[in-house]
Amino acid sequence: MLADVETKDIKVEGISYTYEGADSPAIADIDLGLEHGKLYALLGRNGSGKSTLARCLNGLLLPGAGRVVSCGMDTSEPGSVLEVPRHVAMVFQNPDTQIVGATVEEEVAFGPENLGLPTGQIRERVDRALELAGITSLATRQPLRLSQGQKQLVAIAGAIAMEPDFLVSDESTSMLDYSARVRVLDLFEQLRDAGMGIIHVTHFLEEATLADEVVVLESGRLVAQGTPQETLGDPQRVRSLGLDPLAVTVVAYELARLGHAVPEDVLTVKELVSWLYA
Amino acid sequence: MVGRDITIGQYLAAPTLLHRVDPRLKLGMVVIATVLVFLYPGWPLLVFALTLVALLAICRLPLIHVLKALRSVWVIVFVTFLLQLFLTPGVVIWHWGFLSITDSGLSNGIIFSARVVLLVVLLSALTMTTPPLRLADGLESVLRPLSRLRVPIARITTIVSITLMFIPNILDQSSKLVRAQMARGADFESANVLRRVKDVIPVLVPLFVKVFHDADDLAVAMDARAYGGGKGRTRLYPLKIHPTEALLSLAFVAVAIGILFIPLT
Amino acid sequence: MALRLRLEGVTYSYPLPGKDEAVAVTAVSLAVEPGDVLCLAGSNGSGKSTLAQVCTGLLAPSSGALYYGDERIEGRSALREFRRKVGLLFQNPEDQLFADTVEKDIAFGPHNHGLRGDALKARIQESAAMVGLPLDELGSRSPFSLSEGQKRRAALAGVLALDPEVLVLDEPFIGLDFEGRQSLASALTSYRAERGASIIIVTHELSHVWSLATTFGLLSEGRLVRFETREELLAGETDLAALGMQLPQWGSLARELLRAGVSLEDPADPRALAGAMAKRREATDGR
Repeated sequence: MLADVETKDIKVEGISYTYEGADSPAIADIDLGLEHGKLYALLGRNGSGKSTLARCLNGLLLPGAGRVVSCGMDTSEPGSVLEVPRHVAMVFQNPDTQIVGATVEEEVAFGPENLGLPTGQIRERVDRALELAGITSLATRQPLRLSQGQKQLVAIAGAIAMEPDFLVSDESTSMLDYSARVRVLDLFEQLRDAGMGIIHVTHFLEEATLADEVVVLESGRLVAQGTPQETLGDPQRVRSLGLDPLAVTVVAYELARLGHAVPEDVLTVKELVSWLYA
Repeated sequence: MVGRDITIGQYLAAPTLLHRVDPRLKLGMVVIATVLVFLYPGWPLLVFALTLVALLAICRLPLIHVLKALRSVWVIVFVTFLLQLFLTPGVVIWHWGFLSITDSGLSNGIIFSARVVLLVVLLSALTMTTPPLRLADGLESVLRPLSRLRVPIARITTIVSITLMFIPNILDQSSKLVRAQMARGADFESANVLRRVKDVIPVLVPLFVKVFHDADDLAVAMDARAYGGGKGRTRLYPLKIHPTEALLSLAFVAVAIGILFIPLT
Repeated sequence: MALRLRLEGVTYSYPLPGKDEAVAVTAVSLAVEPGDVLCLAGSNGSGKSTLAQVCTGLLAPSSGALYYGDERIEGRSALREFRRKVGLLFQNPEDQLFADTVEKDIAFGPHNHGLRGDALKARIQESAAMVGLPLDELGSRSPFSLSEGQKRRAALAGVLALDPEVLVLDEPFIGLDFEGRQSLASALTSYRAERGASIIIVTHELSHVWSLATTFGLLSEGRLVRFETREELLAGETDLAALGMQLPQWGSLARELLRAGVSLEDPADPRALAGAMAKRREATDGR
């Protein structure tokens, strides 16, 4: 097998995965290429396979067919088990069940500690991660006593401390309120700007409008991939995928029926209203 | 969540002097003290108890939390007391029908229940002042020689620490379940004790289900951060024993052993 | 119309270790009529869950009064009676489901209320049907073997089986996808139509209840900041972001249009919005 020069991308090649005892595969025949420095939104109704796909990216789940090559490593290779998490980090939906540390800084240090790094380096990484996430002031607090939003920021800092090329967010905003979600998405954009690849699995279409690329799953298959405008602009299509279409696109659709053509890339209220006055 | 009682196993973030002490020293002191507690005859037990309380007070451990921990085990203490009281043979000093209390029964009752109380105090002091992961680190370090015998030390200690971490989770969950049952008409405040017991049992199954789910989630999250069973883990705050704390621990152990030899009847 | 549930100046505080008390809810007054759907909205920490529990009698107000119909509810036994008439659905179905089988779980509530035999069976059937849970298929299975969506339905059936006149739901839509939300919303709408029930939904996500709710109560730090209809909410200047919340796109769009002077019959109807925008556009085009 040609060893890939260490590249900063994730190649998903024809993968399928079936959970034990399930009648049908959770995901089937998925081909996908993910680049660093981009923010991806992964959408799909419950049961469409989004979480399964996300967990295949960092080797948490090993595909039954096909392979995932994350940053040059085949996740199915036994040797990659401790290597892949260095490059592809993950945060989860429930802020409470991912925390192990007694203090925020110990929590963030957990990953680097597992990597066997010397104390000095661990300290540096922890400080850097806390600063990036904007939570340096919380360093000595007990994580379980923070708000849900703060806990997720701690979890993300813990992932950043691994200095990964990619961060996979498995619905990490689903349980948060609006202001907490804004903070998390802002952080994702910052990390993307700094060169990290972010794969954000979400229910919120408005979050998907911020992405560079949207990937949609349906019944375990990849059914749409493209810019937010391309994938989310047609409300009928969005509804058929079991998703709640953006209000703006529904109104734009109705306007088109009334004979007014609204430009195709309008996804936000601001854009629609400015068209109104154009 | 505010308002929750601190019970056994739960870490308390307070400025005690014991917090910074190396966990291995604390573990050692607790183990030795536990053995001694079972060796002390009558009065030395009281002397030790007073010494312990004094030590904890000096270290600024809020004793109210220790009392709360005791409150949750009062049943065990009480049962121990009763068993010794009524079942120890000796010179009878009181009787009523077939129940009789002997002099040895009385003294044994007090001694045995005092032992349970002291054990709880020692354990609480340990877990209150040592975060679970730190405790695991300490355990692992102490047990490391055993790893030559292929015992999976790191894994065991992780399990111990995560179990400790899950205690507040379990309490939270059970209170949520109780509330959900109450909202559907279950009566946890009934004067009828049997009814109360009957209503508690249904809470146990979903409690375990939920806790196992959460434990699973946690395991996955740890895997995602390259947790490999604890081998080769380094630390942000490596364990280091300072001479001062070593000396003080030795002093405590010396005093505790000394109490054993006090000539008290 | 007669009020079904009313809170007057209700404050709830709980004890902290030591002599302190933490106030969760301060001086809240609200009223709910039969058929109302009240959304109690607030970000995490605003006191909404506590308020939900006060509304269902799980917590007794520290001060202020709770009225059910004309009766004031106070004292342990009155609260217990009151709890029978109110149903509470928790956010996580796993916090509620416990029995060996789905059928037994749904039966738990009505059984505690004294229902037996055929009447009990009928109640179980009705509730399961209302939430779209196939009892013949799932009734004898363990609740823990169900899928997420099925668990939610089972939990809701268990609460509806109490035949409550007031139904309180704590964050019922979190984690549900679009279709899940729609089917829950329609189950609630049918229950409300059939029973004339009042529904209180506690959430931080306005978009989930935007078309469902008739009234919105906004909470911030334990206080009720606003209590108004959707139209009033849109017309007002309330800064939702300051409360940690956001109008759904429908709401923002409607608000922008209202501010621009465009009149709307129904701010939640896409056709109405489009029609109004089309007219406005034509008006400016015609310059």
